[in-house]
Amino acid sequence: MRKVLFVFLVLSIVVSLLGAQKLVINSYMSDPAPKKVFAELVEQFKAEHPEIEVTVNTFAHEDFKTLLRTWLNSSNAPDVVTWFAGERMRYFASKGLLEPIDDIFDGGFEAYFPGAFKSASAYEDHIYFVPQSWYWWGVYYRKSIFEKLGLTVPVTWYQFLNTCEKLKEAGYIPITIGTKYLWTAAGWFDYLNMRVNGLDYHLKLTNGEIEYTDEGVKKVFEYWKQLVDAGYFISNHTSYTWQDAANYLFTGDAAMYLMGQFIKDVAPESVKDDLDFFRFPVIDGNIGLYEDTPIDGFMIPAKAQNKEAAKIFLEFIASKEAQEYFASNLGRLAANKDVPAPDAHAQKGLDMILASDGVMQFYDRDTNPEMATAGMNGFVEFMVYPVRIDFILKNLEIERWRIFK
Amino acid sequence: MRAKKIVFYILATIIVLLWIAPFMISFFTSFKSMDELMLTRKWWAPPKKWFPSNFITAWKDANMGRYFLNTFIITIPSVLGALFLSSLSAYALAWYKFRLSKLILMIFVGGMLIPFQMLLIPVYRFSVSLGIYDRFIGVILFHIAFQLGFCTFFLRNFMKTIPASIFDAAMIDGAGHFTIYSKIVMPLVLPALAALGILEFTWIWNDYLWSLILIQSDKIKPITLGLVNLQGQWITSWNTMAAGAIIAAVVPLFVFLLFQRYFIEGLTVGSVKG
Amino acid sequence: MKSKKWVPYAFLALPLLMYSIWVIFPIFQTLYLSFTDWDGVSPEFSIIGWDNFKLLFQDPYFRISLWNNIKWLIGFAGVSVPLGLLIAMLLDQKFRGSKVYKTLMYLPMTLSFVVIGQIWSWILEPRYGALNSFLSIFGIKSVGWLSDPNIVTYSLIMAASWRQISYAMVLYLAGLKQVPKELVEAAWVDGANGWKRFVHVILPMLRPATIVAITVSVIDSLRAFDIVYVLTRGGPFYSSSVMANYMYIMAFNNYRMGYGSAIATIQFLITLGFIVFYMRNVLKKEEAL
Repeated sequence: MRKVLFVFLVLSIVVSLLGAQKLVINSYMSDPAPKKVFAELVEQFKAEHPEIEVTVNTFAHEDFKTLLRTWLNSSNAPDVVTWFAGERMRYFASKGLLEPIDDIFDGGFEAYFPGAFKSASAYEDHIYFVPQSWYWWGVYYRKSIFEKLGLTVPVTWYQFLNTCEKLKEAGYIPITIGTKYLWTAAGWFDYLNMRVNGLDYHLKLTNGEIEYTDEGVKKVFEYWKQLVDAGYFISNHTSYTWQDAANYLFTGDAAMYLMGQFIKDVAPESVKDDLDFFRFPVIDGNIGLYEDTPIDGFMIPAKAQNKEAAKIFLEFIASKEAQEYFASNLGRLAANKDVPAPDAHAQKGLDMILASDGVMQFYDRDTNPEMATAGMNGFVEFMVYPVRIDFILKNLEIERWRIFK
Repeated sequence: MRAKKIVFYILATIIVLLWIAPFMISFFTSFKSMDELMLTRKWWAPPKKWFPSNFITAWKDANMGRYFLNTFIITIPSVLGALFLSSLSAYALAWYKFRLSKLILMIFVGGMLIPFQMLLIPVYRFSVSLGIYDRFIGVILFHIAFQLGFCTFFLRNFMKTIPASIFDAAMIDGAGHFTIYSKIVMPLVLPALAALGILEFTWIWNDYLWSLILIQSDKIKPITLGLVNLQGQWITSWNTMAAGAIIAAVVPLFVFLLFQRYFIEGLTVGSVKG
Repeated sequence: MKSKKWVPYAFLALPLLMYSIWVIFPIFQTLYLSFTDWDGVSPEFSIIGWDNFKLLFQDPYFRISLWNNIKWLIGFAGVSVPLGLLIAMLLDQKFRGSKVYKTLMYLPMTLSFVVIGQIWSWILEPRYGALNSFLSIFGIKSVGWLSDPNIVTYSLIMAASWRQISYAMVLYLAGLKQVPKELVEAAWVDGANGWKRFVHVILPMLRPATIVAITVSVIDSLRAFDIVYVLTRGGPFYSSSVMANYMYIMAFNNYRMGYGSAIATIQFLITLGFIVFYMRNVLKKEEAL
């Protein structure tokens, strides 16, 4: 006992002499489930590195998106922030607001992560982003409702329409969606565009190389319009957040929701096992199967005060153990390539992605942030007033022209 | 005559009931279970079974205790600072005749009426470059400065109602300027300071936007930010959010009920803001 | 008053300094930024003249925002103020419990907009919300208070008026202190005669209160933000947007600080007229004292 005390004393003196390193992490993981798992992860880190004093600040998701930029600019910037891979990270990297972190990977980025993640984590020649987990999108549905009505999982667009119709006839809301914060509508746009026009076209569009008034884009909205006109979407969706809308799925009022895997984070225990997903239906058999697979992770602001501690933390996050812990507790896929899918559900998701012909991140992660806001506003407006589509696309084209000129 | 009185009485009652309905709805909601809320949808009815546990969830999960303390740490010095500084400027503007007096008064009044968006970006930038971003002092200094316009205007109005003869007499007696301010004028404006203090207290307590812009650490966030955080987490648990809202609102409500007279006086004498 | 010239300045030094740093100087900085293309991130930016303002007048969403501000103005100055007066007239009579009634009417003013927004989000929720639940008793189909683009702005004004009417009422209750209670009572029960007396006697006595109530309501309606931000963030697709909210979105969500500053500047210019009007009236009135 004495010995322990002595060691502790010496240790604490050493620590205080060195001056405890501080580490401030700003996180958007505000839903109870990821918040809890992340807190546990931070505890593990603290146990490994008692010399670092860690503070985690958690922000409501939508506030975080707005505030991040102010932090990156401030001389008081946090040391580590959660963020999204792809264009949204690159936007900041291109302004010199992020710290390159190439040196934290023993044996290089590819020793940890699949090569495909590199471009999403890099800007020009440097890595700025540590992927933590990734997930797939799919049409989530209530198995019990499908069973009760004798419905099978739709594979083609025609079958999908049929399923919606049957659900509607049986008094269910076929598709729930909450568009208060817009991005849920972008999921529909992504999938329809990828299914109708393919990945190359979609990529060019998000890069600002295709006009929003293009015939291809118009075709996307023709398919979308079929669902809107038939009244398959929940009414008043513009007043719901994505969680509000998910609630309709959980209560069994609605049957389907095009959503990412993280919908499971907010699902009550009682319906978790009744939730399953299927691949977004095929529209054109000649076009490959493409999916959205957003990658979440961490980065270090260029103005962070404790970059050493921040790098130690990111090293920890990149480790197999930490990645496994986070992913398996939330049923997501770890970014680390040595971590297997944590459960059958995740395995199914992984298999779907492995069988796909290519992936994107997500509309608001792939295109310029300003274009994303304009675009998503337009999508939601279309969902309420489908007849305005020409006007909406004309406006988007003006924006595209201004932003990408 | 009598019948008309009854009609009038009923009318007044209906309006008042309508006005407090939102309060009753929140109060009842905070004590209901989610099942009861969703199944009965009788928002205006008291809970069939009372669930005080919502408050415990809100308090614990949202770390409300800490946010409460932070709000006090921000609000009290801000109110005191604004009162003190504005009493200085109001004193100067109320009693002395000098060239720029009118212009300075206009600056104070004009500043309090401008759309606050004009300040958002520069204030944020300034706080960062001064190194007071994400610190109590940064928010406090801002609140003090921002409230100076209204407080100065308010106190000056009040000081103007004090007869000038008092001031003159003191001058003739040879009292110094600061003595007149501290020993003669301040005691006389004490009721106005009280009114203003109560009003400022509720305003600063209720502030959301500026804390959002000037604070990032959980450690020093005030309760309004805490409440919004809570909303982010318990977005579909209306009962927990209602409990959180009540916790956040209870202090200003209590202050209002205790100092009602001053509060109303402050609003009407100052005649601006809300 | 004879005194050394520096004395008032000594008293003013510190308050004026702080006010200049945090309030006055930023105004000019925003004016300056409105002529730039600053994105809020890059260290450099360039001056682009009137481009932001030109874009602004072609921007359909800015037009919607401006138009919504006008709706707010009508709702606040044209509806809330008369209703506040009406309720003040109603409660400013001797009857049992009048004090309690007044207190209850004041309550909304003590709440922060975060809390008010919260409360109203439950009331206006389309499916389970209090208002639709209540209307369903009478067989009225659910209304999308916050989702129907044609209704949403009015819903927001309704929520904000809850507080604004209380405020107007307070101002009028203070004004009515100058009016004999019998006169107020007579206005209610005396029929046509009472109405005449209300218009010709009471209303002129309430003129100062009216001026203040209207100007403040106009200014508040032009800088409306919190309720919009908390309840809809201007959505769906900007249909409930107001200038303040649009500015916030442009500057802080869309990385267009220059453009946002231009919106703030326009807002400032529109308000300026009312600010001057207010200052003239209030300052003049008090000079007459």
